[in-house]
Amino acid sequence: MAAGPAVDMKAIEGVLGNHPRGATDALVHLLQDIQEAVNYLPEEAIRAAADHLEVPLGKVYAVATFYKAFSLKPRGKTIVKVCLGTTCHIRGAPVVVEDFQHGLGIGPGETTSDMKYTLEVVNCVGACALAPVVIAGEKYLADVKPGTILKRLSKGK
Amino acid sequence: MTQILIDNRKFNAEEGETILEVARRNQIDIPTLCHHEALEAVGACRLCTVEITGEDWNGSTKLVSACLYPVEEGLIVQTRSEGVLRLRQTVLDLLMARCPESTVIRDLATQHGQVTEYQQFTDGSKCIMCYLCVRACAKLGCHAISAVNRGTLKEVAPPFHEHAESCVGCGTCATICPTGHIEMVDTAETRTIWKREFEFVTCKVCGEPLITKAYRDYALENRRLPNDYYTVCSACKKSELSGHFARLSL
Ligand code: FES
Ligand code: FES
Repeated sequence: MAAGPAVDMKAIEGVLGNHPRGATDALVHLLQDIQEAVNYLPEEAIRAAADHLEVPLGKVYAVATFYKAFSLKPRGKTIVKVCLGTTCHIRGAPVVVEDFQHGLGIGPGETTSDMKYTLEVVNCVGACALAPVVIAGEKYLADVKPGTILKRLSKGK
Repeated sequence: MTQILIDNRKFNAEEGETILEVARRNQIDIPTLCHHEALEAVGACRLCTVEITGEDWNGSTKLVSACLYPVEEGLIVQTRSEGVLRLRQTVLDLLMARCPESTVIRDLATQHGQVTEYQQFTDGSKCIMCYLCVRACAKLGCHAISAVNRGTLKEVAPPFHEHAESCVGCGTCATICPTGHIEMVDTAETRTIWKREFEFVTCKVCGEPLITKAYRDYALENRRLPNDYYTVCSACKKSELSGHFARLSL
């Protein structure tokens, strides 16, 4: 696995403490909590989760790799989702994706080396009236024109 | 006791038995890939599909997988109906598209007259995702490998795609794999599998490799066996015993 930033074991142990030992059926829940705490699922965390819940490591790894919501790679502070649904697509979303490639050198699924942004592409987020839509963290950026996204990201609107 | 009809012949069956079990017991051939009698059926390959109906079904029929379907009184099973044969061909079509490299799949396909050819997306893999290896490994208690990722990226692999930590080199996964996908290399001294190398224990009498040291230790720890259980191979044990009996009868 790629060497990521130092793993915050304290935070992970904190999360483990919230789930009883051997609670096998809490697996997905626990992984979600870990990801929320440290932004991704580091190898150490997956091992710790297996240990704590007394689930075979292979099973935990299988679950962690199955769901798209889990990332085994470190992710940036802000996760930027570019909608590539039909409407956004027609209204120029592919150009927005290119803007990331040109401006920050990251493609879908990739993270900037300063760990600031992770780019993801998604399908229709149900906000077609705002197309093309970019969701940065919790914020919805509407009507994103070509060449403007990076500026808008740093301004946060 | 239940009575069912398979290909127009009457058979007795126990409550809870599957169609496949009854058929196999009576030498009726139903092809399977993901089934093994020592493991719970999961219905992954769909090759064992048969057509069922019942007296009071008003002529309607259903395609079900024989390895999973529990028999019920009066069940009427066809193992070679037109629908079944067509479905088998489709299943094999898809398997051929996935692993054309596998001779087992290719032979099955020829045997069943597989017709169309879907576009192959061959990555050289012979894995048909039947999970026999994963299930067997779990049943043995090792859990060294599992089915990771999803969709077209799904594959059988050890945790983190590294060497399989909890593997003891028993080789069951490679042996149970119907298509020979899992790579296992044995020499006189070592076995290499899942990126790990295991040393063999050799037979005290003939010197042939007997079992990996790791598997011996695992088995001795987890099963009730005498400590010297894995010192002589079964062939040598047999010949030793037969000699013993020969002397007795004199
Ligand atoms: S297509 Fe992007 S919000 Fe609907
Ligand atoms: S043997 Fe029944 S589905 Fe594979």
